[in-house]
Amino acid sequence: MVLEAETIFIVDLLAIFAVYVIVNLSLNLEFGYTGIPNFGKVLAVGAGAFVAASIPGRIFASIAGIEGDYIENNLAIVSEINVWLVDNTGIGFIVFFLTLGIAAGVGAGLGLMTSYPAIRLRGDYLAITLLAFGESIRIIGNNFTPLVGGTVGVQVPDPLSFLPGELRFPVATIGLILIAIVVYVFSEKMIRSPLGRMLRAVRDNEVAAESLGKNTTQIRIKIIMVSAGLAAIGGALYAFYVGGTIAFAYDRASWTFWPFLMILIGGLANNKGVIIGTLLFVTLRKFIIFFKDSFQGYVPFDVVWLDFLLLGIILLAILLYRPQGIFVEKPTPTISVNGNGKSSGLKKIFNFFFK
Amino acid sequence: MSIDPIFSDAIIFASLLALLSIGLTLTYLTTRVPNFAHASFATIGVYIALIASRVWESTPYIAIPIAFAISGVVAIALYTFILKPLIRKGASQAIQMIATLAFDLIIIALLNISADYLVKTFQITSREFTLRSYDIEFMGLPLIVFAAPITVAILAITLHVMLRKTKFGIAMRAATENPDLSGTVGINVKLVFGVSWLLGGGLAGIAGALMSLWFQGDPNLGPQLIPSVFAASIVGGFFSIYGAIAGGLLVGLTEVLGTRFLAGELGSWLIAYRPLIPLMFIVVTLLLAPRGLAGISWSRLRRYGSRS
Repeated sequence: MVLEAETIFIVDLLAIFAVYVIVNLSLNLEFGYTGIPNFGKVLAVGAGAFVAASIPGRIFASIAGIEGDYIENNLAIVSEINVWLVDNTGIGFIVFFLTLGIAAGVGAGLGLMTSYPAIRLRGDYLAITLLAFGESIRIIGNNFTPLVGGTVGVQVPDPLSFLPGELRFPVATIGLILIAIVVYVFSEKMIRSPLGRMLRAVRDNEVAAESLGKNTTQIRIKIIMVSAGLAAIGGALYAFYVGGTIAFAYDRASWTFWPFLMILIGGLANNKGVIIGTLLFVTLRKFIIFFKDSFQGYVPFDVVWLDFLLLGIILLAILLYRPQGIFVEKPTPTISVNGNGKSSGLKKIFNFFFK
Repeated sequence: MSIDPIFSDAIIFASLLALLSIGLTLTYLTTRVPNFAHASFATIGVYIALIASRVWESTPYIAIPIAFAISGVVAIALYTFILKPLIRKGASQAIQMIATLAFDLIIIALLNISADYLVKTFQITSREFTLRSYDIEFMGLPLIVFAAPITVAILAITLHVMLRKTKFGIAMRAATENPDLSGTVGINVKLVFGVSWLLGGGLAGIAGALMSLWFQGDPNLGPQLIPSVFAASIVGGFFSIYGAIAGGLLVGLTEVLGTRFLAGELGSWLIAYRPLIPLMFIVVTLLLAPRGLAGISWSRLRRYGSRS
């Protein structure tokens, strides 16, 4: 069985969509609900990808007894690991989930570390600090070779290598979507809990929240840590999906700017807006990449810049003319109101996701 | 006369950071929004210098006034067409910051398009180029080694005189301090803010034009420079022109000379981590003296020092 080009297109689109949904949900938690301008989202995503690139491979190599320098002979070692993983699927999955856990931990730690200097100051200082830290991830990744092999990049072992070639990507995509759904449910539950209302209180009126005895600094640090952890999981999943990590892929545009654009399209503080915004953006991007070759002959420059130009203008237009996005933020019903038993099961599920 | 090129590097880089930081502070004072597109205004200056020297085949120094004008106009456009409407609609500071990021992206895209166009039309190198060979020699050194610090000094003195002695400068300071109140006493706040953005963008343009004579030019220079510029402004305190100059010089000199010193002590692998120095400046300043050099009460420190 060989996959058709259309199927590959859709499978890839859905996988990227799922990864971005995870990252965007975390950004929405931070920026949409709590009002933290995290312009260094790329840091957490990159950290997750770097964890996926440097840790599971070494664990597998030591369990399977594969010798050699992990970075220098990366290609050979990872292909050996992938062969070994065919018979050791269980260990593969254990290490896979362990890696996601480590990625979340590292992400949360970095979130704490990078926001600490500026968390008590005005929002713009925090934004500048986080942006500057976000730039640093690429510099470290490019130069510190034991991490992700510097400018050459490394391969990431594939826990799904027991599947036949043409099934691997569809199954991986289904897995990614399932994880994205888990993150969505987690984030929704969190937002509809008293915590969610507190976050909005911190965002809308810090003084009032403080006068009611809420420690706003601590809340903000916690939210940064949680969302950095989620974003790191997203980054690790992306690395596993594409099967490799290279430092320069973790730039400000792809993992800070596009996520902001996506949540602004959908509407801030609105998880269903995140889904729609991400879907719109990822599809648009895919089509731009798909069709850009047909434009290439007509313009005297690389068409990739038209893409940047277009997306920058779209973002400015949204900010100026539709700052609330597609879905306007609504007061969120609490769980008890939402599930008062009158609606049927199917309707409840529908309400949960789309209301 | 000849000096170690590392000192030329340090002098020029520090002067340029000071220029960029003054400009950033001028614009920050008006709208209280850090402009993330600021370093890309300098990249515009770099490309004007490239066009001046390679297409018009004259000295890159004539690019300075042109870069001032064009970058200044681009900065005014950002303020008038994007930030002002956003402020009128009551957008939060974070939304305005995102708008400057989007504007930065548009400038970078346009610069890249121009770079491709220059290659195709005039067959000149428009990426990772240097214009060092177009510089004039002065006392055995490239003129830029003198021109950069002298430009900073002249501009700093001009700004000082303008802000302290002229009516317009005093109106400018009043308007940044309290826009509503200065509006009631008849100061044209819109005009004053517009001039601030013209000056801010223009100074960045000048920095860019000068930069092309020593450092490598590239369309993506802005994102590389922006952490250093913000570090300089934060060290300077973000509210004071004099602080911005001091911060620019401090961060610039430390970045170049500190990297060189540490690389000599610990090994040359360290050079690649130079971009982390501004980050450390930001962290240390925010932890120890969040209001920067301008916020430290020097007279109290001195009194405290003499007492003990």
